[in-house]
Amino acid sequence: MIWTVWRQQRPVFITLATGLVVAAAAILLLRAGMVADLHAGNIVDCVRRSMESCRGEAARDFQKTWYDLIHIAQVVVIVVPALIGVFIGAPLFAREFEQGTHVLAFTQSVSRTRWMATKFLVAAFPALLFVAVLQLLVRSWVNAAGELGPLAGGPYYFTTFEAQGVSPIAYTLFAYTLGVFVGALFKRTLVAITLTLGVFVAVRGALALRREDVVEPIRVLSNDLTDPYAAVERGQVVVGTGFLDAKGAVVADPSAAKTKCVPNAPIEVSVEDRTACWQQNGLARSFRDVLPIDQATTVHLLEASIFAGLAVLFVLGSVWAVRRQV
Amino acid sequence: MGLREHPPVVAENLGKKYSRGWALRDCTLQIPAGRIVALVGPNGAGKSTLMGMITGLLRPTSGRITVFGDVPNGRGMHAAVAFLTQAKPLYPQFTVAETLRYGESSNPGWDQAYAEELVRKAQVPFAAKVGTLSGGQRTRVALALALGKRPRLLMLDEPLADLDPLARETVLRTLVEECRTQGITVLLSSHVLAELEGVCDHLVLLTDGRVRLVGDVDELLRAHAGQPGLERLSQLALSYLRQAEEGRAA
Repeated sequence: MIWTVWRQQRPVFITLATGLVVAAAAILLLRAGMVADLHAGNIVDCVRRSMESCRGEAARDFQKTWYDLIHIAQVVVIVVPALIGVFIGAPLFAREFEQGTHVLAFTQSVSRTRWMATKFLVAAFPALLFVAVLQLLVRSWVNAAGELGPLAGGPYYFTTFEAQGVSPIAYTLFAYTLGVFVGALFKRTLVAITLTLGVFVAVRGALALRREDVVEPIRVLSNDLTDPYAAVERGQVVVGTGFLDAKGAVVADPSAAKTKCVPNAPIEVSVEDRTACWQQNGLARSFRDVLPIDQATTVHLLEASIFAGLAVLFVLGSVWAVRRQV
Repeated sequence: MGLREHPPVVAENLGKKYSRGWALRDCTLQIPAGRIVALVGPNGAGKSTLMGMITGLLRPTSGRITVFGDVPNGRGMHAAVAFLTQAKPLYPQFTVAETLRYGESSNPGWDQAYAEELVRKAQVPFAAKVGTLSGGQRTRVALALALGKRPRLLMLDEPLADLDPLARETVLRTLVEECRTQGITVLLSSHVLAELEGVCDHLVLLTDGRVRLVGDVDELLRAHAGQPGLERLSQLALSYLRQAEEGRAA
């Protein structure tokens, strides 16, 4: 049975293998070129931590050349699961039903369930391997750019979040099982492809928007009232800002206090004067609610478990759809 | 009770209703073992529906059906049954040899030597892709796949419909030879009556989803002996088909 599925999926496997070889070669070459640029610009240390000296011409030129390319690589890792769902998951059973070859499969001695399980697993394994290897390759490139690349945006930055950890594999499982299920349910490849893409994008989008709601933000306080990013570390996501009064309570309407400090004439007010005026009007300290960086792993696991749960439902649905009699 | 003691197919008041209406109603019959059974009827009489319910691809709306004593279900077809439809679905991208290997991997009782012999007799090249074969060659490969699993019941739904007269004759002769020598029960549906003449020894005649005539060919002919124009199986079947047609018109 394994041989049969391997033989049927052979063009897909060849495509995956070729794609992986090309992607690996491209990423390794680009990464090597990028590392050479880091040495040439003498900004190797900027990869590990951002410093004042990293705001110079060399770093700017480097980012101009490389930032978007690395970003595209991350986006590829994000897009591949959808492609696997659409081109491997959706046609897996839909094409059999469409071409009538399911009758051939259903009238052999092996049970429908075994036929289905073999097809499902043999087609899934190379796809998952492809995603995992691609993810590792891209990750090594992203790491090599470090703080000069997308990692500067922190772990919650969307391409960084979605292209690392358990996320790509979780998205792939979701897209693949979704494709398999709608394919077995509707028995039409085109319908399955369209639905897979639509549902995948909708569910992924909806959960991505909710991502920041599941983390309990922490409040960081600062005596600096005017700098909007006071006390915020690089990469932290700010989800709320405001002011506290002298007693530590949140000021309900800070703009009322601020309005009183706007001069009548168009003159420049120093930061110190403005801070003093705001303090007189009851703004003692500023605060920001940020998503803690160390919670990113928890969010990854939480999101992945939702997708894994959906994948299990789709697998059960597929078993039902294949075994039902009309 | 051993499997051998159960008749290949037993149907009791079997019925199948689609959204457009009943395709088969109150079908009660038994397919006796070791016979070559002709399933005859006009288009839409319920022949394919009956076969679909024997395979388990279709679920009966009413009544009961057993295949070698087991009720067909959605888990898979009875291992002792082989089924060949008019479309003869095969994977077009597979070669003939790969198709046989597919049969081997999907059927525990597979007889590779026998299947290869059938393909060789048909002079179909093993290295050819199934998608490039002629209709006759495709049928021979599909037949090798069906017989290679060593079935005890072989069902053929209009297997000759898309073949030229010469290929029909060859395929049918091969089929009958193989099944007679191995005692395989055959259920063969066709609307070309002349073809079944001299091949089939049992008849099931369906019209409008109902069984009109069922029995051994010898007995049926004996029962109608003396009536002019009913000396042959094809004439007998045709007269019943005509009666049904007239009944509907009236």
